[in-house]
Amino acid sequence: MRTKFLLSILFFIPVLIFQITLVQFITWNAITPNFILILLVFYSILYGQLYGTVLGFVYGLLFDLITGGLLGSAMLSSTLAGFIAGYFSNENKRHINLKPFNFGLIVLLCSITASIIFSIFSTIDFNKNIISSLFEEGLLPGLYTSIVALIIIYFYPRRKLLES
Amino acid sequence: MLKIFYSFWYKFKEYIVLIILILASLFALSNNNNASVKNVRTIAFSSFALFSSLISDVTSSTLIKNENGKLRRLNAELMLQVNLLRKYGIENQELKRLLALKDTTSFPLISASVVSKSLNTASNTFTLNSGKIDGVKPGMPVINDLGFIGIVYSVSDNYSMIRTLRNVDLRIRVKDERSRVDAILKWDGDDLILTNIPKTSDIKIGDRIVSSELSTIVPLPIPIGYITSINNMSTDIFNRVKIKSFSNLTSVENLFIIKMVKSVQMNKLELNFFEKENSAN
Repeated sequence: MRTKFLLSILFFIPVLIFQITLVQFITWNAITPNFILILLVFYSILYGQLYGTVLGFVYGLLFDLITGGLLGSAMLSSTLAGFIAGYFSNENKRHINLKPFNFGLIVLLCSITASIIFSIFSTIDFNKNIISSLFEEGLLPGLYTSIVALIIIYFYPRRKLLES
Repeated sequence: MLKIFYSFWYKFKEYIVLIILILASLFALSNNNNASVKNVRTIAFSSFALFSSLISDVTSSTLIKNENGKLRRLNAELMLQVNLLRKYGIENQELKRLLALKDTTSFPLISASVVSKSLNTASNTFTLNSGKIDGVKPGMPVINDLGFIGIVYSVSDNYSMIRTLRNVDLRIRVKDERSRVDAILKWDGDDLILTNIPKTSDIKIGDRIVSSELSTIVPLPIPIGYITSINNMSTDIFNRVKIKSFSNLTSVENLFIIKMVKSVQMNKLELNFFEKENSAN
């Protein structure tokens, strides 16, 4: 358990570097995919809800500290995203949920939730129309993240996935 | 009791952990301005910045390379635009000065533009886009807003050729505007020179030189230039005086031809320099 957790933290570092340095090149109209969330959802499905919730909290904490953002905003959103993703960590259905389409939908659900919560605490402008704000800050990044997740999981080796 | 607690934990551990972590997050949110939180954040941020700066250095150098290319292109385009605007500005100023000159002079003027320039050091000539149709005749003086430029040398229907001040074949009678000393102006291939000025004459550096009324070619005082140096040659009875023209002949573009109709009788009497030269040729 401890090795698994350390490994997931270890994987987090390159993904975080990628997220804060290189993701700008695939940004579309200021909408960025959240690679950290994809990793979190993946581990949550793989290792369960409790694991996902705690990992989400740790990922969020590190993200907030390292990026210098509002401490707690990513913590809260990632914790909830990990918790939601953990619902799909049924032992019998795990391999089904890690199939590209299912995984994409789970990432979409988690990403929308995380984006909305994150934006409520950090970026959302309440003077604007709340519906359009939620659409821009929540749905669009969620959609973009899920498309990216779908592509990643599609090219992820199946054997490795089944082994894990 | 412990059993109940254990079973409760076993049943709801995910929710309990979730609630604890959410509370921790909210606590962190409410303590953002805390000094210790700020310190921790600064340490984490600065230590991780080393890694991210390495990657961003690589990516930014690629970006800078692309940006440099774009900026160089933009720079070249802007340079062309600036050049064009500068040219328009100079033309505008020149035309304004010419318009002012046209309004103040009492002589009829024919406006003309320089079509081509032969910038030969010995025999500098310009071709103008005004000719016989416009009333241009050989021997007419050509000026711009700054002063004398040259003399019309040959004329076709639409064009005319002028000998400028920098032409060894052009010699005109000039005078010192201050002391009224007369002299002959010529181009020696390097400088504009005043000849036939005795050493005793009252001339000084900086004196303005204008065409003399005694001239058969330009019988009205048109500014030509100013004295830049006076060489006293011990072996000669005349001074060698250099002058600098007011007009810059290399950059001049728009000119006026003074439509002067000289007296035929006077021409015959004084043997006009120009006609004399033509008949000699």
